[in-house]
Amino acid sequence: MPILELTSLTKHFGGVHAVDELDLSVEEGEIFGLIGPNGSGKSTTVNLICGVVSVTAGRVAFEGRDITGAAPHRVLAAGVARTFQNIRLFGHLTVWQNLWVAQNSVEDRRSENFAKRWFFGSGAARDAVDEQLEFAGLAGKRNELAANLAFGEQRRLELARALATKPRLLLLDEPAAGMNLEEVHALDGRLRTLQQAGMTIVLVEHVMELVMGVTDRIAVLNFGRKIAEGLPAAIQEDEAVQQAYLGGSVETAHA
Amino acid sequence: MDDIYLIAVLSNIGMISFIALSAYLLLVVGEISFGQQAFFAVSAYGSGIATAMWGWPIWLGLLWGALVAGAAALVVAIPTVRLRGLYFSVATLAFAEMVRLIFEIFTYQVEIEGELVGPDGSDGFRDIRAIYDSNVSDFEYLLIIYGLLSVVLIGFLILERSRLGAIFRMIGEDPLLTEMQGLNVNAYKILAVVMAGVVAGIGGALYAHLATYVEPKIFNVMLGVHALAYGLIGGLGTAVGPLIGVAIDIGLLESIRAISGYRMIVFGGLVAVLLIVRPRGLLDEAAVHWLRGRWRGLVRAEN
Repeated sequence: MPILELTSLTKHFGGVHAVDELDLSVEEGEIFGLIGPNGSGKSTTVNLICGVVSVTAGRVAFEGRDITGAAPHRVLAAGVARTFQNIRLFGHLTVWQNLWVAQNSVEDRRSENFAKRWFFGSGAARDAVDEQLEFAGLAGKRNELAANLAFGEQRRLELARALATKPRLLLLDEPAAGMNLEEVHALDGRLRTLQQAGMTIVLVEHVMELVMGVTDRIAVLNFGRKIAEGLPAAIQEDEAVQQAYLGGSVETAHA
Repeated sequence: MDDIYLIAVLSNIGMISFIALSAYLLLVVGEISFGQQAFFAVSAYGSGIATAMWGWPIWLGLLWGALVAGAAALVVAIPTVRLRGLYFSVATLAFAEMVRLIFEIFTYQVEIEGELVGPDGSDGFRDIRAIYDSNVSDFEYLLIIYGLLSVVLIGFLILERSRLGAIFRMIGEDPLLTEMQGLNVNAYKILAVVMAGVVAGIGGALYAHLATYVEPKIFNVMLGVHALAYGLIGGLGTAVGPLIGVAIDIGLLESIRAISGYRMIVFGGLVAVLLIVRPRGLLDEAAVHWLRGRWRGLVRAEN
């Protein structure tokens, strides 16, 4: 059974068919690439899965459960976390607090202890936050306000915060946007580490070095419709895909 | 004479601090309420009725006032929680004016020792004498006000270091993102509105008993506007911020006679300038963070 299954998922904004009859199934443990030209409906698809925008028609199933139209906090509780195309952090909070609150929303969700649940969190959650900081390479910045971090650090914090909620499915909306090549390689390594730990990842991305290297399978969207799906090598050769990217080859389109 | 005046000024600062903290809490969760005076009013009437008409002891009257204000806040919170920004502000303003107009016609009097006691519409509610009947001096009452204020302030400071406090700040910064951390934003906002209502209610109950007389027009929108301005002047980074705002306004502008005539001009100007120069007040989040860092450094140097 696929971990994520979209069935005829459709979103109309007025007359615009942002996502049109999209069928997609993501298997557990894979890194699944979702690519396409600007405005092809990739981010909208992520927003539909997360409950940020309402679904016009179709169905979203996660681990076999129907989560179509569920409120964002319920989608997260079900085990789906995401990052945003434009970095979104709580700039007024410290790096540590950014992770701590996210962490606790799962860790202490069922905690019966009033003080733990509302005020101070559990020791286990604190330890987990420190681990996350270590993994993200932000241990030295724990008391910094998130707004004061450098760009690359903010991206890493955003990923760490999504991970802090202990998701089983991670939706990454252009995590490599604005990164230099070195940072992209570091991200590549981090995604592989996560995959080895059993995480399923849907990667929406423009940076082809990352997508072609790290993904197991790719689906290509254009005008809200899926125009191709398959292994990265096959996608690179696919004519419809090359056509969608203005006639160029996939590799040069975003160099 | 000077002592009496000083006690009166300090009492006033203390009571107004509650409504300032109330408005501040909602500013932290990102909502501008023009209606916190309604909870101040509801509690002033509620606690006055409890002590003057039902003969309850003062402490129970204060508690009752805060509870009634909290309940009123819950009634406001449930339908308005989905509103954002300007819409929330307009809704709170409308509610507060509704409450004020209801008190203009609200009459509920009983005869006690041959005298009619209780709210009498626009003529107000006289003889809330509980603190004088039980011989509490103005100075003792000042201590009660500041004792309660300390408790509330300490509560706020604990809240600020807690998970719940962090969640409130997260909602103020980015509600959608907060929702995506697995948190039910609407539920937390209802909680914040109720907490703010209770805090304003404590101030209202204290006010009614010190003044012994309340009337609807005291609770007009200017009280709520001032409450908002205190946080915006003093800063939204810590609960100490709004208290600084109150101290500046009432302690300096209103109480020093030489400048009190220009109070609204100076006060309005101060708000306008600060909104441009420091939009989140003197002690904003960055300033508070910097101070905490310095404090940690000092503590480490000591050891």
